[in-house]
Amino acid sequence: MKIAVCVKRVPDSEARIKIGADKTSIDESGVKLVLNPYDEYAVEEALKLKEAAGSGEVVIVSVGSEAAQETIRTALAMGADRGVLLEADAVGLDPLPVARALATELKDGGYDLILFGKIASDDYSHAVGVMVAELLGLPCASAAIKLEIADGKGRAEREIEGGVEVVEFALPAVVTADKGLNEPRYPALRGIMMAKKKPLEVKDAALDAGGVEILQLTLPAERKEGRIVGEGADAVPALVDALRNEAKVL
Amino acid sequence: MANVIAVLEQRDGTLKRVSREVLTAARTLADAMDGEAHALVIGPSGVSGDGLGEYGADKVFVAADDALALYQSDLYAATTADVVQGGDYGVVILAATAMGKDLAPRVAARLGCTLATDVTAIQYDGGVVVTRPVYAGKAVYRLKLTGAPSVVSLRPNAVAPEQNAKAGAVEATSVAGGPARATTVEVKQPDRAALDVAEASVVVSGGRGLKGAEHFKLIEDLAAAVGGAVGASRAVVDAGWRSHAEQVGQTGKTVSPSLYFAVGISGAIQHLAGIRTAKVIVAINKDPDAPIFKVADYGIVGDLFEIVPRLTEEIKKVKEG
Amino acid sequence: MAGRLIPADHQPPLPRDQLVLTEAPGEERIDVDVVFVGAGPAGLAGAIHLAQLVKQGNEAGDGPGDVSIGVLEKAASLGEHCLSGAVINPRPFRELFPDLQDSDFPFGSRVEKESVYLLSAKRARRIPTPPTMKNHGNYAVSICEVVRWLGERAGELGVDVFAGFPAGALLTEGDRVTGVRTVPSGLDRDGNEMSNYMPPADIVAKVTALSEGTRGMLAQAYFEWQAISSENPQIYALGVKELWELERPLDRVIHTMGWPLPNDAFGGSWMYPLEPKVVSLGLVVGLDYPYQTLDVHDLLQRLKQHSLFEQYLRGGELVEWGAKTIPEGGYYAIPERLSGDGVVILGDSAGFVDVPSLKGIHYAVQSGMYAARAIYEALKADDTSRARLGEYDRLVSGSYIRDDLYRTRNMRPAFKSGFWKGGIKAALMSLTGGRFPGKRIDMEEDAAAPRRPGSAEPVVSDNKLTFSKVDAVFKAGNATRDTIPQHLIVGEDVPAELAEFYAHMCPAGVYEVSDGKLVVNAPNCVDCKATDVVGPRWTPREGGAGPSYKRM
Repeated sequence: MKIAVCVKRVPDSEARIKIGADKTSIDESGVKLVLNPYDEYAVEEALKLKEAAGSGEVVIVSVGSEAAQETIRTALAMGADRGVLLEADAVGLDPLPVARALATELKDGGYDLILFGKIASDDYSHAVGVMVAELLGLPCASAAIKLEIADGKGRAEREIEGGVEVVEFALPAVVTADKGLNEPRYPALRGIMMAKKKPLEVKDAALDAGGVEILQLTLPAERKEGRIVGEGADAVPALVDALRNEAKVL
Repeated sequence: MANVIAVLEQRDGTLKRVSREVLTAARTLADAMDGEAHALVIGPSGVSGDGLGEYGADKVFVAADDALALYQSDLYAATTADVVQGGDYGVVILAATAMGKDLAPRVAARLGCTLATDVTAIQYDGGVVVTRPVYAGKAVYRLKLTGAPSVVSLRPNAVAPEQNAKAGAVEATSVAGGPARATTVEVKQPDRAALDVAEASVVVSGGRGLKGAEHFKLIEDLAAAVGGAVGASRAVVDAGWRSHAEQVGQTGKTVSPSLYFAVGISGAIQHLAGIRTAKVIVAINKDPDAPIFKVADYGIVGDLFEIVPRLTEEIKKVKEG
Repeated sequence: MAGRLIPADHQPPLPRDQLVLTEAPGEERIDVDVVFVGAGPAGLAGAIHLAQLVKQGNEAGDGPGDVSIGVLEKAASLGEHCLSGAVINPRPFRELFPDLQDSDFPFGSRVEKESVYLLSAKRARRIPTPPTMKNHGNYAVSICEVVRWLGERAGELGVDVFAGFPAGALLTEGDRVTGVRTVPSGLDRDGNEMSNYMPPADIVAKVTALSEGTRGMLAQAYFEWQAISSENPQIYALGVKELWELERPLDRVIHTMGWPLPNDAFGGSWMYPLEPKVVSLGLVVGLDYPYQTLDVHDLLQRLKQHSLFEQYLRGGELVEWGAKTIPEGGYYAIPERLSGDGVVILGDSAGFVDVPSLKGIHYAVQSGMYAARAIYEALKADDTSRARLGEYDRLVSGSYIRDDLYRTRNMRPAFKSGFWKGGIKAALMSLTGGRFPGKRIDMEEDAAAPRRPGSAEPVVSDNKLTFSKVDAVFKAGNATRDTIPQHLIVGEDVPAELAEFYAHMCPAGVYEVSDGKLVVNAPNCVDCKATDVVGPRWTPREGGAGPSYKRM
């Protein structure tokens, strides 16, 4: 099975976010950068499928700066075979240019399956994987919590409000992975050492500018002072009223 | 002058509440852009576009076919793209629901246009300007979108539906032919009995104030009434009353619901860090000095054993009525 | 219960069978030439210098050929388990990187002004800076930043740094150390393998350099196994530290003594500006304090309420919190031999800390460099025996590490007599360059010190200036999964009054007393090692468990 997994280098989710001096990006000093946690599910799934098939290749592709090579190496340490970095110093917020660059790279790769994490934990766009599928004219199941591949066909389950959607498709296909799809393996020491020797090609991403202009990046507003609505069970109607009409959450 | 089109969502032939939010947002935007607000309803035969004028739709397109009863990604995307291309639209708005999160990027890719997802506000200010949270809610972007149209998905509960009577003229539109590369074959009940606390939009959490595992029934009942997931503080999980899967905060989960109830939870920082991005926090605790009250938007001081059953009752009334 | 409360009575012994393995390496095995255990300043400086020597030697034509150098680090990434004050003496950095300027190093502001205060509850009386504490010309640093920077330099030189891999045992053959075995990951609370279980791996090396930092597990095991002793036992202090962002800038290094410490507890506090508005502050207390309920975290919260500190902290924000022990035994507590067949011991694990000047990082770096030289010659001679690696001990004894520690050899022990008498003795030592009083002062290990019962009035935290332990642990970035196996070895039948002592001793709230019984919240542990010194024994957990310090 030939599988491509697209990954992204993102700030660690525990990182304390500070706004940079330009007020349109975060201050990256001291921020730990890691493999997007949702991409870990995708890498793990690819490795499991290759292992089940007995043969094949798992290729890691990423759009990012030169440092993203480290992230690709992490996936190689987990067991992937080779990597491709589409180098771009500035990746804007518009998902389409990134999707186009990936689609161009993946188009003639002969992949049976292309996997993504459903979202990146920095921008939460939930877009690139699905867009790549559209650009390549492939079926796509997004946010999969379960995936079965057999005889050139796939079956994915995805969580929707109050239920689980079951989607069927034929390969080749694109699937984006959600939490719960699997339990990603830790890279073993030997894997880390071998990853250094696996091939990693660097190409120019040639991203176009995209249509999103960043006006400002700010910290969220301080929570407003709350209020005690009352005492005891008698205060309940007032609370319910506030939740409905003031907070508009009921 | 450009129009705005809202792509609405239905379930079993009935429009979901979130559709009215999206339509309201479209109306507001259309007024700012000096254009019309249209709506697109895709669903099974018999799905109705009536009554949408009430929420500001000038025109409503209805693409009805039994094949579209469940969300079919390729057919929905193709149909939407056709309708958008058939008009002069500046913005396409969807709700950032499970469907919207899948459909919006497809439409944007097909049309080759700019996409902004999960926005909490959308305005027109010499161009389409959106606000969207990032880094798990730790920072917020204000972005200007260029190119026409732009595709935007709106976070549920970000905009309150507003009535604004317009013509709401219904027009049938054709369903795109295909191909359907992926097929949704069914929607089944989730394997897990309960909602995952990390994904739920409403969470009801119980702490040590509940005094015992057996009393957690109160939390479960309230969670069921409000349609939410059950959460637990670390103290309760450590005591073995609830499973680790429900733990919120301090190595349990970080949750980001619209509504979070902290019942009998004092509010140590690690729990609060787990709920910092919750939109609205309600605290119920017998200690008026409990730290949770400093973070809660609303609170009731008193005996949770009396308050919670009453709250469950009142919420059931609201949901039914 | 009658009788004195002595922590040593209930301390389990070092689990030697677990820490010193005699079996052959298993299938999960990698081979390197040299492995450094612990990516702190000592381990990284050692790896860097060794790589430099190998490169220079090979380029000159008389090198040992390819040498694979690995560094193991238990934290998920470099620096996350490192914590220090710190004001650093840059001397060994300049030696390690002769082509760089001070401005190239990851240091904070240079120390220009400093003040020492004797505190009482209401006042702060400035006293002349003791000569041992003068810091002019030194730099305030975050050890996390220093370590990350050193890690990058190591990577550039081809050193393999493996983060997330704690070493759990020594591999041995006869008296030789042949490598280390890592701790498995993916086990549940009951020790069962979960779906992402990773078995232990054996790293086999010609030389194992133990640079585990304070109270290193494997270093302790090696010394005990090989019956290597020191004239005095090693003693420790517990430091609890906070990192704050201020509204009001701080322009000087501050040290205090006295309040809130009782006279018979050794210690003091510090506040250093990393930048004018980013300060490191904390309190250090010797673990031989004679009280059951002394609580260092709590005393630090109290200290912050003193106007000397409060005036700076008001309106500021607590960014990080952490804790770590410091070896304080000095010259007489350094083991008689720091090398053996296939092994050398570096930095804090060897006890290279000078208490009066509160310095240890530069000794760690220097010791790493000496180890590298000894290892380099050993590799070239293809002889990594105790005799050959003993060159490391010779380099250390002939260096300023030994001279500095010898000069202050009795200062900390002098404080056994209490604050005032100790202060006088210390002053005399300073004046006479250590010659008087010169004879070694006997010390006993911390756990042997009896603890008097007391009552504690903990500070009620306001979450603005003062914080509870539970909140503090969160600020340490501790995201250890709650289902991790228990890593602490607790003695049997811990009496209630000892449980009480543990609860106050641990800064992270690992120990609690509930209904007179000891409750252990092991995931809270931030690996400070205080427990290993006076309480339940500490063992390493799976990689990445523990705190996640960013700028401590």
